[in-house]
Amino acid sequence: MKKLLHSRNTGLIVVLILLLVMARILTPNMFSVQAIINMLQNNSVYALLAVGEMVVILTSGIDISIASLLAFVGIVTTSLSCANPGIPGVTWFILAIVLGALCGALNGALVGYLHMVPMICTLGTMYIFRGLAFAVSGGQWWFAASYLDSYRVFAIAKILGIPAIVWIAVIVMVLVGLFLGYTAPGRRIYAIGTSRESSAVAGIKEPTVTFYAYIICGALAGLAGMLYTANYAGGYYGMAEGFEMTAIAICVLGGVSINGGKGRIDGVAIGVLIMCVITNFISMIPGMSVWQKALQGAIIIVAVIINYFTERTAEKRALKERGALI
Amino acid sequence: MSDYILELKDVVKTFGGVRALNGVKFQLKKGEIHALMGENGAGKSTFIKVITGVHQPDSGTMLLEGERMTFRNTSDSAKMGIAAIYQHVTSFPDLTVTENIFMGQEIKNKFGFYDWKAMRARAKELIEPLSKEIDVTKPMGTLSVAAQQLVEIAKALSRDARILIMDEPTASLTRNECLQLYRIAKELRDKGVSIIFITHRFEDMYELCSRVTVFRDSTYVGCWDVDKITNQDLVKAMVGRELTAMYPEKTAKIGDVVLEVDNISKEGYFKNVSFNVRRGEILALTGLVGAGRTEVCQNIYGIMQPDSGEIRLEGKKVNIKSPIDALKLGIGLLPENRQTQGLVNELPIYQNVSSATMKQFTKGGQLDVNAEMENAIKLCKKIQLKANDITAPPSSLSGGNQQKVVVAKMLSAEQKVLIMDEPTKGIDVGAKYSIYEIMNELACNGYAIIMVSSEMPEVLGVADRVVVMKSGRVTAEFSDMSSLTQEMILEASLKEKGGDK
Amino acid sequence: MPGSNYDRDLSVKEGFVLSKFLVKWEMILVYILILLNLVLLIFKPELFFQAGTIQTIINSGFDSSPLVLGMVFILLLGDIDVSVAAQIVLGGMVTGLMMNAGIPSIICVLAGILTCVLCGAFNGFCVAYFKMPAVITTISTSMLFRGIAEIVLGENSLKNFPAWYNKIGWYNIGGIIPLSMVLFLIMGAILIFVLHKSPFGRKVYIVGNNPTCATYSGISVFRVKMGCFMLMGFMAGIGSIFFIGRMGGGISSSMATGYEMTAIATAVLGGVSTSGGKGKMFGPMIATFIMSFLIFVLGLLGVDPNTKKIFIGIILILTILVSTVNKQMIKDIKLRLLYHNNKNIEAVNDRTAELVKKNKNEIKKLQKAGGKDAEIKKLQAEIEAAQKECKEKSAQFWADQQADEKKAKERFAK
Repeated sequence: MKKLLHSRNTGLIVVLILLLVMARILTPNMFSVQAIINMLQNNSVYALLAVGEMVVILTSGIDISIASLLAFVGIVTTSLSCANPGIPGVTWFILAIVLGALCGALNGALVGYLHMVPMICTLGTMYIFRGLAFAVSGGQWWFAASYLDSYRVFAIAKILGIPAIVWIAVIVMVLVGLFLGYTAPGRRIYAIGTSRESSAVAGIKEPTVTFYAYIICGALAGLAGMLYTANYAGGYYGMAEGFEMTAIAICVLGGVSINGGKGRIDGVAIGVLIMCVITNFISMIPGMSVWQKALQGAIIIVAVIINYFTERTAEKRALKERGALI
Repeated sequence: MSDYILELKDVVKTFGGVRALNGVKFQLKKGEIHALMGENGAGKSTFIKVITGVHQPDSGTMLLEGERMTFRNTSDSAKMGIAAIYQHVTSFPDLTVTENIFMGQEIKNKFGFYDWKAMRARAKELIEPLSKEIDVTKPMGTLSVAAQQLVEIAKALSRDARILIMDEPTASLTRNECLQLYRIAKELRDKGVSIIFITHRFEDMYELCSRVTVFRDSTYVGCWDVDKITNQDLVKAMVGRELTAMYPEKTAKIGDVVLEVDNISKEGYFKNVSFNVRRGEILALTGLVGAGRTEVCQNIYGIMQPDSGEIRLEGKKVNIKSPIDALKLGIGLLPENRQTQGLVNELPIYQNVSSATMKQFTKGGQLDVNAEMENAIKLCKKIQLKANDITAPPSSLSGGNQQKVVVAKMLSAEQKVLIMDEPTKGIDVGAKYSIYEIMNELACNGYAIIMVSSEMPEVLGVADRVVVMKSGRVTAEFSDMSSLTQEMILEASLKEKGGDK
Repeated sequence: MPGSNYDRDLSVKEGFVLSKFLVKWEMILVYILILLNLVLLIFKPELFFQAGTIQTIINSGFDSSPLVLGMVFILLLGDIDVSVAAQIVLGGMVTGLMMNAGIPSIICVLAGILTCVLCGAFNGFCVAYFKMPAVITTISTSMLFRGIAEIVLGENSLKNFPAWYNKIGWYNIGGIIPLSMVLFLIMGAILIFVLHKSPFGRKVYIVGNNPTCATYSGISVFRVKMGCFMLMGFMAGIGSIFFIGRMGGGISSSMATGYEMTAIATAVLGGVSTSGGKGKMFGPMIATFIMSFLIFVLGLLGVDPNTKKIFIGIILILTILVSTVNKQMIKDIKLRLLYHNNKNIEAVNDRTAELVKKNKNEIKKLQKAGGKDAEIKKLQAEIEAAQKECKEKSAQFWADQQADEKKAKERFAK
């Protein structure tokens, strides 16, 4: 019980509930099951990006190329599927993951094996992917009319009344959660994020672990690209600009330490929910839609500052305990 | 079959041009506890990392039960039954105790997933005989250093080690904890485990070990049976010459009290610490690592502020909020870790030297680089720095000369009190001697010097007065240096439950 | 001090060395700049000599130039600031709103700059006091600042700015020298003084390289960081003048996106390391020119503005990779590829190479002196013998290693 009270997630859930209550009071007519489902549908892409970003941040890296990667892969799959209507949609689903993984592998190789600073490396690849997205699209918009149903089905088909894209996001979260929590490669990611020196002593190959962390992130961003275009039935090379920032923000909100090694999938899940409640319900309040961005930013700052104070009190408590031994 | 379970011959290991091991050899018998001794920087830690496969030797051979071995990484050595407990605990502070124990050899269920339940149960099984207070689900970082050490031991035990290497396991343990460790080590030996025990303390060696090998300056000096070698011979083997010649003669005249520390406490670090230091005096602050000595110095220098108590400089109460205040008042600190606290490795020597005294060289908002260089040359010549020129980065210097750069930095402003935290840690004998000479000269010039040191011979050889700390309290103060012995200091620094002096 | 045999002259002996100067990073940037000009000259000679081309190139690339100058300080600290584009918008908004209210223009401009300085101070406080990672802080403040602009402006844009704003973006002094470049160079000169000549600049380097050491040396890390972030804010304020001028005197909340990344990329191209403490002011200044020429040249060669991003990205990554190549790295690569990671083989080869070099030199000397054949032959024989021995020994070491590794593999393969 005491543990539950001190847990960060409990605090986040309280915030989430408060936000929902506020939303209920301020926008009574729009607070319906359907509204919530729509909200989840439109924010599943953030969930995918945030989970991938989390894996990278756990290694004490950062990936700011994911939004461009999303656009690139999204453009590739949409344009190809429009050009080849005969090929079933599942091909594009797989292609998106593979292509995303390949792009992630580029980041991973540069950061892991060539020891580039993650921020700069992914800044470079961010430009490259965005440029490639333009080159592939030819600057053209792709619209719903030219889409195949078997392509869109991955985002909008309803299973038990809930869109497939939400199911995919949930499944990805569960899988990544299992991977991080219960498999050796997953725990290695935490290990190198916690201490590179100790990892070396424990015989963990840091470059390899970094490499596959970025591959996972890339694959998820690629998948997000395909689903994003499927969900909105359209795409252009400039889509999803700034999503990488939102993904990082969600991770921080969910308790992932930017220094690596700390953070759990459930925190990120709650972070996604909080972020999407803010963006969606705020925008439903008349005259409040312009407040979205400022509130998002403010909430992250407040979250980090609260983190600072909780960590300090924890430190003080630890010192007091030590003091008793003296 | 050879008599030795582990044998190393002519092992050489270099790091970027520096020879960390220079043709050392080592022989370990089955079921013995073998002490490995030597000064800091003698190559012991590198040596065990070679045995465990963290580093691969440049040349030389390793025989395990007479068979030539190559370890590509630590899991290779672990598979052959070699486990090590390193000096700087190499754990994952954010991960739980359980996970720390099993990192690299996890228990998995049939689907390839972690079996947390089984791991936790096994971890408990391993930890319980060592300590009943450790919660295996807590993050490693929340444990005390001693508890972390025990977890490391549990980790080694979990691998069914045939050869166990312990790198200074007793350095930060209390007397009771040491006794417990001895018991565990002996039990293991009786089970047939061979142990390499690296230590600085003769007590450990006599209590546990049957043979002792000594390294000095990255080379092998010799191997003896413990009961056939005297203390003096061993020290001689370790330092390479007679102790008496190691310290310069003291010439300073001792004057009035300059700095007074009155009853200061800091939660979690130390309690009710009082001492004073006089003009021209070298006061040694000693005790074991982790006794709170460094923290006391940091409080005087303003890195932290004490919760209660008073610091008086020349009789006046001073309120030091930061190192800026301390430097203004004339209190300098030579930090414990020159790499992280004392030097900016990427900037040239002269900029390092003037980094604490930039104001002196500023004219009209501009730094006068020539004046800076002149000053640096003057100081570096005084301390006989061995460098090509003063624009070289400190990273190109040897450890001893790096330390001299930090000393020069502290000398570039006039000071009344100079605190030197482990001033000779990890530097060679020659450089040590010149640091002592500098201290002596400073004392002659009226500096009051507080020297934090863990090395007893150094304390006995250099200090005018000795204050001993244990677990955050002052346990003894000795001012009669002629009758003071290592045993007396050791006793004071191991005193159980400190008590007031 | 008892003077032992210490006789070292520590003063700086090495003066200016041309060969070293020529391979400095800044000089390499100059070569790239010249190369770009040559490309332009060769492919579009008529355009190159046409009046106004160079001015257009420079003017078009300098709308974010003040950001680069400020970003150098932030990167030197080992921090990063991605909120600068949002600061431009916010600062411009304050100026524009006050202009609309009819307040004298000079006050409006100063208020805009002050807003940016305050934004910088907020960033700095979060980073230095709460020890928040700079990435996180500035990502969230960029949302916050831009969000505030969105709240205030909504979909509207502000159009009322002092007339001289446009001049900064478009005017050429005497029809030849771009005003923006002149202002950029003046600011650059001031900041070069601050970074390389003043105590503050030195403190930035010390804090960037080793903040702990800075604290122990009596340098307030908090003040230095605050100073740098406020300076960044100030430069963003100036940047908003440049930007609005270039945009023809208008601003809305969604403008200037991505400028922060361009500024960071330019600074990094200029040789500033993002891990802090490494880099100079000159490099990023030259890199600013390179960026504007690069974008223009690519445009002329028929590359569209968005595909240019690919080139910028590749150049960014390549420059970082190239700048990490040094002697040690080459040695490591040689060790790994040629000597099978075996230091014994490396040592033998190095020794042989040295001997061969020495003997060859002597042979040359003898030949010049018209010397005796017998001695030359002897030396040549020595070389051959050494090379043969080296080969044999290397082979032996390699065979041993292979055998060991094979054994290890068998032994440890579970």
